Amino acid sequence: MRRFQIGDRVSVRDATTLFHHRTQSYVRGRTGLVVEHRPEWLIPEDEAWQRDDGRVEPFYVVRFRQVDLWPNYTGLESDTVETEVAEGWLVPAAEETTS
Amino acid sequence: MTVGGPYPVLMASVRSVGPPGGESARAPAPWEANTQATCDCLSRHGTLDPVERRRAEDELGATVYADFPVRARPLVVTAHALLELGAISEPELEAKMNAVRARFRKA
Amino acid sequence: MSDDHDHHAPIEGGDEISEFDVLETAIRELAIEKGLFSAEDHRRFMEWAEGIGPHGGSRLVARAWLDPHFKQRLLADGTETSKEIGIDWLDPTGTGTPSDFTYFYVLENTPAVHNVIVCTLCSCYPRPVLGQAPEWYKTPHYRRRVVRWPREVLAEFGLHLPPGVEVRVHDSNQKSRFMVLPMRPAGTEGWSEDQLAAIVTRDTMIGVAVPRADWNADRAPTEVRS
Repeated sequence: MRRFQIGDRVSVRDATTLFHHRTQSYVRGRTGLVVEHRPEWLIPEDEAWQRDDGRVEPFYVVRFRQVDLWPNYTGLESDTVETEVAEGWLVPAAEETTS
Repeated sequence: MTVGGPYPVLMASVRSVGPPGGESARAPAPWEANTQATCDCLSRHGTLDPVERRRAEDELGATVYADFPVRARPLVVTAHALLELGAISEPELEAKMNAVRARFRKA
Repeated sequence: MSDDHDHHAPIEGGDEISEFDVLETAIRELAIEKGLFSAEDHRRFMEWAEGIGPHGGSRLVARAWLDPHFKQRLLADGTETSKEIGIDWLDPTGTGTPSDFTYFYVLENTPAVHNVIVCTLCSCYPRPVLGQAPEWYKTPHYRRRVVRWPREVLAEFGLHLPPGVEVRVHDSNQKSRFMVLPMRPAGTEGWSEDQLAAIVTRDTMIGVAVPRADWNADRAPTEVRS
């Protein structure tokens, strides 16, 4: 059962972890829009250790506005970045405010 | 066009990247493609996960092997990973490198 | 006999073997000796990897331009639709273990959105459809800057996008690989699939360029514009 639907505003947790992950630092703590669902994939935190019983999580394509990611973004308001994020990294936007 | 020069702006730039053979001397080297194929083989065999290797490349490349040219990172980190995994040992690698040197450089 | 002496030995060309050549050969041969793979396996990967170019991608784009149903399928499921032109992302993956990297998504450019791809964490690239990544794509320089200053980077490639166009950077950080489906340029009316495929060059599918009717990368540019 997926926690987020297309159109939901979500924030990426600003977690630091000892484990391998592929959640870029520039999106951590930032808020964006769920624009697509991806399949359920093994999360990198487990995959890196080649565990067969690794945890599987739904992934999402999240679209961020560039102006929300970078201070003094030099492009246009309309510019965006999309990237895939595992569900465990996401919280509803209201629960965590962007900086 | 006459030969002219030397132009200080160019000389300073060239000096900043060091002698020939440094990172600037950018002929595509066969060892780079060979390394890629080795990584493909190791990945296929299940010895070395490519995502893990790429991550190690970024991490080790920025720290332990920061002084190496960026293009050498895949090679150095693959070797590092094979040692780390115990797939090969240090004395083994050293002996093999000596053997390869002797073989490649014999007249 | 010292290395110095060998270095001056009268072998033609003076083509030096670097320590990187030595290290590369050593780990490859040790891996072969330990049965991790064979020399033939390695040679096959070399032959395969060096042979793939961006032609698969060009074919996908050209067909999508001509056939709306194909385009629909391609945008809905890139992995599956690639098989229609003989590209199977599962075998060979060339990019990882069979469970990895098998999701392929095609990003459609429109008059309102221009897509560009990058992998900020490493250098993921849709090799089965575009071949080997260009050197610049793999540099920290491109990876770091295109996600932060995309319009600046595109301008360096000669691509200036008007204010009405959203620049959408796709950072392939997980399982997916991406390719851009550029817009069909003017002046190509009535063209065949082969003619169209020829102008869909590698850079237009990365998103740092747009196709033009008068350019394909199979020959050197014959003129430069002021």
